[in-house]
Amino acid sequence: MIQFIVRRTLQAIPVIFLISVVSFVLMQQAPGGPQAAFNQNPHISPEQVDAWLRRWCLERNPDLLGTVREYLGWLGAYNCTGGGFVSEHGLPNFLPAFLGGGSNGVVHGDFGFSIVTGRPVLDLILERLPATFILMGTAFVIWVTIAVVVGVLAAVKRYSFFDQAVTFIGYVLYSLPTFWLGLILIFIFGVELHLLPTQGIIAVRTSPAPFGTPEFWTAFAAKPLPLIQDIAGHLVLPVVTLVAVSIAADSRFVRSAMLDTLSQDYVRTARAKGLPPRSVIFKHAFRNALLPILTNVALEIAFLFSGAIVTETIFSWPGMGRLYFEGVSGRDYFLLMGILLIGSLLVVFFNIIADVLYAVADPRIRY
Amino acid sequence: MANGHPVPPVAAPADSHDMGADVEVALESLGQWQLAWRRFKRHRLAMAGLAIFLFMIVVAIVGPIAAPYNPLYIPNSPIPGGEPPSLSHLFGTDDVGRDVFTMVINGARISLAIGGFSMLIAGFVGVAVGAISGYAGGLVDNVLMRIVDVLFAIPFLFVILVAARFFGQGQVIPLILIFGLLSWPLIARLVRAQYLSLREADFVEAARAVGVGNMRITFRHILPNALGPVIVAMTLIMAGNIVLEAFVSFLNFGISPDQISWGNALSNAQPALSLGNWWWAFFPGMAIALTVIAINFVGDGLRDALDPRSHL
Repeated sequence: MIQFIVRRTLQAIPVIFLISVVSFVLMQQAPGGPQAAFNQNPHISPEQVDAWLRRWCLERNPDLLGTVREYLGWLGAYNCTGGGFVSEHGLPNFLPAFLGGGSNGVVHGDFGFSIVTGRPVLDLILERLPATFILMGTAFVIWVTIAVVVGVLAAVKRYSFFDQAVTFIGYVLYSLPTFWLGLILIFIFGVELHLLPTQGIIAVRTSPAPFGTPEFWTAFAAKPLPLIQDIAGHLVLPVVTLVAVSIAADSRFVRSAMLDTLSQDYVRTARAKGLPPRSVIFKHAFRNALLPILTNVALEIAFLFSGAIVTETIFSWPGMGRLYFEGVSGRDYFLLMGILLIGSLLVVFFNIIADVLYAVADPRIRY
Repeated sequence: MANGHPVPPVAAPADSHDMGADVEVALESLGQWQLAWRRFKRHRLAMAGLAIFLFMIVVAIVGPIAAPYNPLYIPNSPIPGGEPPSLSHLFGTDDVGRDVFTMVINGARISLAIGGFSMLIAGFVGVAVGAISGYAGGLVDNVLMRIVDVLFAIPFLFVILVAARFFGQGQVIPLILIFGLLSWPLIARLVRAQYLSLREADFVEAARAVGVGNMRITFRHILPNALGPVIVAMTLIMAGNIVLEAFVSFLNFGISPDQISWGNALSNAQPALSLGNWWWAFFPGMAIALTVIAINFVGDGLRDALDPRSHL
């Protein structure tokens, strides 16, 4: 098992490395670049722009080698403050600091600064994570629960009216564009009925401080109840949107996993023995159907981190999806690379978790 | 899926290996596809979906000629906030006085073109890469599949931005190319998985024994047997890419505003709902939803028709 985990981790390294290289090169090829905002400003001289770019270890019009230097600087193998590939201790820069390496770059735990806001990337991400976890976590728990219940029922009553209705509604919901559904929900429940808040995570007027700031958390610790109520109200519409568009795929998955086990010989044996249907369904079929479902859920968790770009944009939710979108719009290289790197690390991590879970839950599997 | 007819005993594309020889015979008499069509016809939702889909294609082709107004015509004194639906403007007008009905009809062309052509690109590239990868195996397979892994993980917004630099932003053909190039890895994985099992099949060995070349085995003998799931996946890709176009246009990285797609019409309507002018957003969104639902049902029917064993 440990050997398996180590092997999978080692296999993941080249893939993550490639993803980061390709993303970095793609970003450099995108039009504009971070200094584009200054082009229109007559008060900023080219020298100032150059100094500003140097501060971020970026170059004005990087050729291929320049892009490689920039990438290695982000990675931590290149020290753009003068040393090149050698740290101030005269050793290769990519070594850990205590072995005489440098201190810049992600290999040393330094995700750099956001170019647009000037703040550390890690701080920005940590500030946005709670909002994303509240939104995605709530939606995820709800849609997985409903999907499992509905999927199992549909499989047990295969081809019944219920099954057909679930299939039909599932396809319809799955086909709706997320942002259109969100806009319609805002129109009905926010604009027409005035029932629910439609923007943000807390009411700006009554909130003690913007969500996610330290002041907010102090106020939250002192008097949490009204704030929780407020957040819950703001949660309803985005969560409904996310659940509606995500539920179909999962319930289909549960249904087909359940149908697979229901057609197994041991289920027929259990029925033939005269066991009550409830026991056959839950103890024999469902427990075995749980294996693929568990894997699927573990894989989905990895993607919760990156949030939902569209839903967060429509509902002005201050989460990771919007942070990412702001990064793309502002060509915020280091912010994007940080989000991307953490995102792909999480995907790899949960892939391995899914495999391990599978082995733990299924004694037939050996690595 | 949703119909309880018994499984016909005739080999379908993805059937077990020892049936392979029968499939060859069935293909030559076209019986396999006739049977699939018979099964497909029994799936009422799929037939309804096919009808809607064909209707949308007709709209896309002849609609712009028959549309009541010029889609980009802006009257001199538009009614502020737009006109609600009426007999002269079936779907109402937007804030600058453009007829929403005309925009929906005109948008069908670009939206369906993006969905359809990107699907074809994804199909061709995906089948070629998947077939080579699955049949060749070894180093070739390893390299191609790592490329697929990376492509799966690259965020598409970057790719669209970069392509905008090379092709000019908001043009239709670059978007088709990008969507196609972003969607083929899925097909490639599917085809590869099929080839991994099919290349060991008896009929492949038989073909090799009588001296059939590798290319011919790959594309003439194995491919027809692997096509079923690929066709289903391609319908999903088409539906997905129509939504993706709308999504990308919504984020202002898509089709430029001087051209009309459903996504574009919808993205213009973003402020309308908070003003209570629901018709700007409702009808383009309905057009997307209806088309995508129709395509998904067709895909569902095809899944049943082409792979009778499938539970999905």
